[in-house]
Amino acid sequence: MNPPPSSINRREFLAKTAVGAGAGLVLGAPGILRAADASPSKTLNVALIGQGKQGQVLFDAMRNIPGLHFQAVCDIWDYNRNGAVGRVRSLQKHTPKAYSDIEELLATEKDLDAAVIATPDFWHSPHTVKCLEAGLNVYCEKMMSNTIDGARAMVKAMEKSGKLCQIGHQRRSNPRYRFTLDQLINGNKICGQIVNVNGQWNRAVKSSQNIAYKPSLTIKPEILSKYGFKDMHQFMNWRFFRDLSGGAISDLGAHQIDIFNWFLGTVPKSVFATGGNSYFKGREHFDNVMALFDYDTPQGQVRAFYQVLTTTSCGGGYYETFMGTEGSIKISENSASTEIFKEASPAPKDPNDPPPEKPIPLSWDHLVQRGYLGRKAAAPKPAPTGGVVDSRVSAPPEGFTLPGELNKPPHQPHLENFFASVRGEAKLNCDARHAFLSEAPIYWVNPSALSKQPIVFTSEHLDV
Amino acid sequence: MTTESTECCKSTESAECCQCSPQCDLGLTCGAWLLRIWLAMRAIQTGVEKYVGMKGSDQPISIDGKVNDYGLTSATNVKEYALNHYHGVPEALMKKFTDEPIMMQMKWALPLYDKILGPALIVLGLTILLGIASRTSYFLLGLLYVSLTWGLILIKEDSGVAWLGIHMIMIVMALMLSKHNRLCVLKKL
Repeated sequence: MNPPPSSINRREFLAKTAVGAGAGLVLGAPGILRAADASPSKTLNVALIGQGKQGQVLFDAMRNIPGLHFQAVCDIWDYNRNGAVGRVRSLQKHTPKAYSDIEELLATEKDLDAAVIATPDFWHSPHTVKCLEAGLNVYCEKMMSNTIDGARAMVKAMEKSGKLCQIGHQRRSNPRYRFTLDQLINGNKICGQIVNVNGQWNRAVKSSQNIAYKPSLTIKPEILSKYGFKDMHQFMNWRFFRDLSGGAISDLGAHQIDIFNWFLGTVPKSVFATGGNSYFKGREHFDNVMALFDYDTPQGQVRAFYQVLTTTSCGGGYYETFMGTEGSIKISENSASTEIFKEASPAPKDPNDPPPEKPIPLSWDHLVQRGYLGRKAAAPKPAPTGGVVDSRVSAPPEGFTLPGELNKPPHQPHLENFFASVRGEAKLNCDARHAFLSEAPIYWVNPSALSKQPIVFTSEHLDV
Repeated sequence: MTTESTECCKSTESAECCQCSPQCDLGLTCGAWLLRIWLAMRAIQTGVEKYVGMKGSDQPISIDGKVNDYGLTSATNVKEYALNHYHGVPEALMKKFTDEPIMMQMKWALPLYDKILGPALIVLGLTILLGIASRTSYFLLGLLYVSLTWGLILIKEDSGVAWLGIHMIMIVMALMLSKHNRLCVLKKL
């Protein structure tokens, strides 16, 4: 086994985040995070902890990963548990052992290699810590925890146990995202200077309704109470409760704000957020949140805006846009929402210089010819409006596309990376330490929105 | 033409008159063949197309002339024929049919029709092409097109109805020319 991820102390962390030069070290791909105690050919014994909707998504993403043996499943709801047993049995022709309690599972199953955790957010930290302490490598869904202290405990447990802990920010292993960062933003610098970032996840009211359940399937009150749920409604809809979840900014926003930090190579200096319950007035968490983040990057200041709306699907669903002086990249896990734009006239080298009299004919044809970009079909020219709105209106940007697709379920590459790391064949793309550095600012969005005050980050906010 | 030939025959009283002998009328025979080939091809290929599915194929993307290390692929769909792709009634139409009140009264009919449509088109196409019981085959193919027409009337696909109407005219013409149809395996029926 290689050593666990090196710890970064508070001073070191601040030094690295305060200056752009160190930012890449903080949020770049970790270099030492692999286990070496499992031979490449060894079948890995896996426990599935939490088999609700997201647990099923992860299981479906693991179906095509060779060398996995699903040895045990655990869920407090027999409906989920029995469903998981059936799915596993149909896949591997072997019935896994079923548990309703994780402690019983860990006490009984002694030859497990890894646990895949997809329980409600407030159980992520206790479950991850238990599994790490039991000697298992852990893949845990994001958000790490519903509290920053819970997330801190996960980092400490990972480093103390020497086991691997991958957090489910699956975009970090998505080839489209990795290619965009490595080759387009950093390699060919097609954005020029990134000056703004914009991201959103807008979801219609219909998709944000309470999750219903059959009364006949209700879990006994004493079991619900034992595991921290007031009633069955809360069990099914834990995302709407402050003690159980971070709300929409955590549930949906965490993935995308993680991309802000990963692509910019640093974490924000501050956050200023607002939110409220415009439609779902009975919910504890906001149904819409908007947040502004300020960054200092090696290239200069960047301001990022993120919104999560569970009240309208307007604006095209979910994506992250990195806006630069030369070009912009709008990227999404949904490839149909991914677009790349080249500014019609490149920026002068110095912002204080006067703009060129004529647009410089610098094209991206060479990138298209070499396969780095695809060319987007030209949009039809708009009809003349009959007058000039403003003499400084920009010429429309030229459209391009990413050159390829991901041909697997979105979570599969991240899980492949995890299991390959357990075998010692790869390095984790998002271990708990690096996930924490990226997630920490997100924990302060709701407090800022509640207090209506900006929060300037210090080590107290961001350090483990 | 038949009337003229008969008059010709009467006037010459010659049994050898080529125009009077259906077997000798090359133009009518060619017409019968063309209709036979067209209707057979139409039926066979339509039936075969019901076994078509799309098979996804992912090709790795090349960047700078080399396969990329990221796992980026280009998805292409390739058409393939297989028994497990079979779909007698297209999925889009199936939904419309099942929503029809009449079909709700005959829930058994649609799955049965879905099962037999493709094989029936292929079998009838082959019997027409080979000349096996040609008139019976044309008649059965006509009935099949009548059934398709009824379905399209039900879901108000008027252009499809008109299209099938042209097929019906061709089948009727083929039946009229069937006595000129030569090179048949079994002509009696």
